[in-house]
Amino acid sequence: MRDMPKQITLEEWDLRYEQLKKAGKYQPAYGGPLGRHVEDGDQRLLRLRYDNSAAALRLWNFLLTEEDRLHESRMAGRKIVGTMKDLGTVPVMAYCFENIVAFYPDGAWWIPCVMELGAGLLQIADSLGIDESFCPVRAMLGAFVTGAHFPIPDLLICSVGATCDDFSAIAQRLNGLGHPILWWEIPHRRNPESNETGVNLPGGYSAPKCQVKFVKSQLHGIKTALEDLAGEKLDEQKLFTGIQKANQVRRLLAELRQLAFTAERCPIPALEMLIAEMLAIHFCSNRQETINVLKELLDEVKSRVRDCKGILNVDAARIFWINPVADLQVMNLLEDCGGRICGTEYLFTHALDEIPEDLPPLEALARMALADPMVGSSIDRAQRICHDIRLFGAEAVLISRIPGASHCALEGRVISEIVRDKFDIPVLEIEVPPVTDSMRPTVRTRLEALVETVRASRNKKRI
Amino acid sequence: MKTVIYTCPYVPAEWIVAHGLRASRLLLDRVDSASMFIRSEGVCPFVRSFISEVMNNKEAEGVIVTTVCDQMRRAFDIIVRKCELPVFLMNVPNTWQSLASQKLYIDELKRLGRFLKGLGGKPPSNDALANIMLEYDASRATVLASIEYSSARQYAEAITAFGRDGPNRSVNRVTGIVPLTDGIPLAIVGGPLMSQDFALFDTIEQTGGRIVLDATETGERGICARFDRRRTHEDSFMELANAYFGGIQDACRRPNSELYKWLQQELTTRGVQGIIFHRYVCCDIWHAELKRLMDWTDLPVLDIDTAGDNETDRYRAENRIRAFLEMLQ
Repeated sequence: MRDMPKQITLEEWDLRYEQLKKAGKYQPAYGGPLGRHVEDGDQRLLRLRYDNSAAALRLWNFLLTEEDRLHESRMAGRKIVGTMKDLGTVPVMAYCFENIVAFYPDGAWWIPCVMELGAGLLQIADSLGIDESFCPVRAMLGAFVTGAHFPIPDLLICSVGATCDDFSAIAQRLNGLGHPILWWEIPHRRNPESNETGVNLPGGYSAPKCQVKFVKSQLHGIKTALEDLAGEKLDEQKLFTGIQKANQVRRLLAELRQLAFTAERCPIPALEMLIAEMLAIHFCSNRQETINVLKELLDEVKSRVRDCKGILNVDAARIFWINPVADLQVMNLLEDCGGRICGTEYLFTHALDEIPEDLPPLEALARMALADPMVGSSIDRAQRICHDIRLFGAEAVLISRIPGASHCALEGRVISEIVRDKFDIPVLEIEVPPVTDSMRPTVRTRLEALVETVRASRNKKRI
Repeated sequence: MKTVIYTCPYVPAEWIVAHGLRASRLLLDRVDSASMFIRSEGVCPFVRSFISEVMNNKEAEGVIVTTVCDQMRRAFDIIVRKCELPVFLMNVPNTWQSLASQKLYIDELKRLGRFLKGLGGKPPSNDALANIMLEYDASRATVLASIEYSSARQYAEAITAFGRDGPNRSVNRVTGIVPLTDGIPLAIVGGPLMSQDFALFDTIEQTGGRIVLDATETGERGICARFDRRRTHEDSFMELANAYFGGIQDACRRPNSELYKWLQQELTTRGVQGIIFHRYVCCDIWHAELKRLMDWTDLPVLDIDTAGDNETDRYRAENRIRAFLEMLQ
């Protein structure tokens, strides 16, 4: 049952859900009307607009039932691993074990948005001395204290070193509250020096061989910890199979991104694309279902592109978006202002690039971990962004600052300078807190200005 | 002699000096945010001052930046793009319990050696490094012993002079001063101080306090462990690495439990009755420790947060210190 693509409200979705159900549309076990999630306190859902496809419904339901899935896993006797900060590396390993489920407690940073601050997580973080001067990921502390969101993991693993100070400090605070953490070191990625052997990394980066060897040793320590937790060995074949599965997800996303960002008419909204991309980092606690969800979404997008259907006007300004937003509604807002997403860098490109399959698996994972955009310099990150701007034909760049985040204070200038040096396109920074309601007019005005600048530039080129 | 500048305590001055270069650990001055060439929103005042100092320093022929804090790591990106000076980014691991982390630090020191060679330095022999280390060690011990008869400001200045100038010029500055015995014994805990922050020491002493433990990064806490003479002669490089990487306890360590062990010992030994916690706004690493420290210790803790760039800030800090000491008396 395919209708004209459009964005609809939650109320409209619930009506549409009934239609889909009557039409016999397949619903997975976690399926159901989206409106039911509001009863859990997810008030922000009432203010978002959604893609009207069945594929999007499945995507949203999959996302919004993750906590249930984690609790079910615990009930079923599976071990829960909380993997923190590395955004994509450790879960590839963890999902090689049948009896381990891994997730990012970092994801709690969206709870204040989704629950419109109703969960009180930020207040708990405040009470622990982690106030609003920190990144919204501080909500994670509150989630650990209340235990009301995700189950407290059996094992916590956190990368430190070349990471943001906010997260490192918050994780240490968590550790100080009595949660044991297995820390692993990710060194700042650098280019090989003249006397060093260089190694190519995913994403076009490079690093000296000694850094890859070091990270491999760190990952080996994590592998041992996971083996101890699972009570089974992780051999090379199993890890290789896990990498292949992760690559399956990444290939689906690569195709999805290519179509979504380059089709003449935008086939899928920015918000659904953000969520789809997020699935790559820990498979939303079910790797196989992630593949199924993405396949359905990709089929929908392919069909729309084939039929030249989409959700926005063809003249929407093509925006490259940097950093994830703490308030999901801002992705809707960009489209309201006449923009569309044509390229993203949400801080986890290393979870989107394919992991090399022609290398020993642990070495391949080490190379992937080192390709994390946060691990290297802002200059490297900017160059990757420039590459993708060209690839997707973006006409402007929007840098979305994360309030309080240590990296945002200095990297924006470096990135914008490098982008401006290479392309004659506008770059704009905005700051997006978990709930933007009070500053919505300001954000809107800035987004409109960006879109207008793009359009003016097009007109100049025509003349 | 070519000068290499840095601020991080994990950079061993002895290693630079042994290469035939001058090591100068900077004591930074404040920079008004309005006068900065970079946007200052969200930038730690210390990092802001560091960038400004590097850009304007006329003496330096090389700069060392480390990865102990994220903003400093990113300051490297700014400096390397805007500054003509050769800059070296040294990876200082946050983890410390594994041999791999220790080896990473050692490898980074070796890489630093190659950078120093590129500046015209000469790799030292074991004996040459050992001799410099022992000279530094003796001088450092003298500086540390001066706490008995120095005011807190004099003591802090002696430590920073030692960092800036090395053993030769710093030792004499702290002799011949009358020992201090009165005042409520206090500790100051936190990241690095800047020169204007030393005024806090005067305020503390004028209002009846006495700093008996300077646990800031620019104070005693940022000083490496003493070298073992025998091991220094046997393998000076390894002893240097161990004394710095293993001997300096910082909030950035993961886990940072050793910092608390060190504090426990020093606070007890020195009979501390109150803690002044100094931090810069936008320094997440130290900010996150404040509440934990308060929960951990029975001692009263005063939080002094500063944006580092205006007089109001200073008056506010002074008032808070006065009130704190009034309550302790």
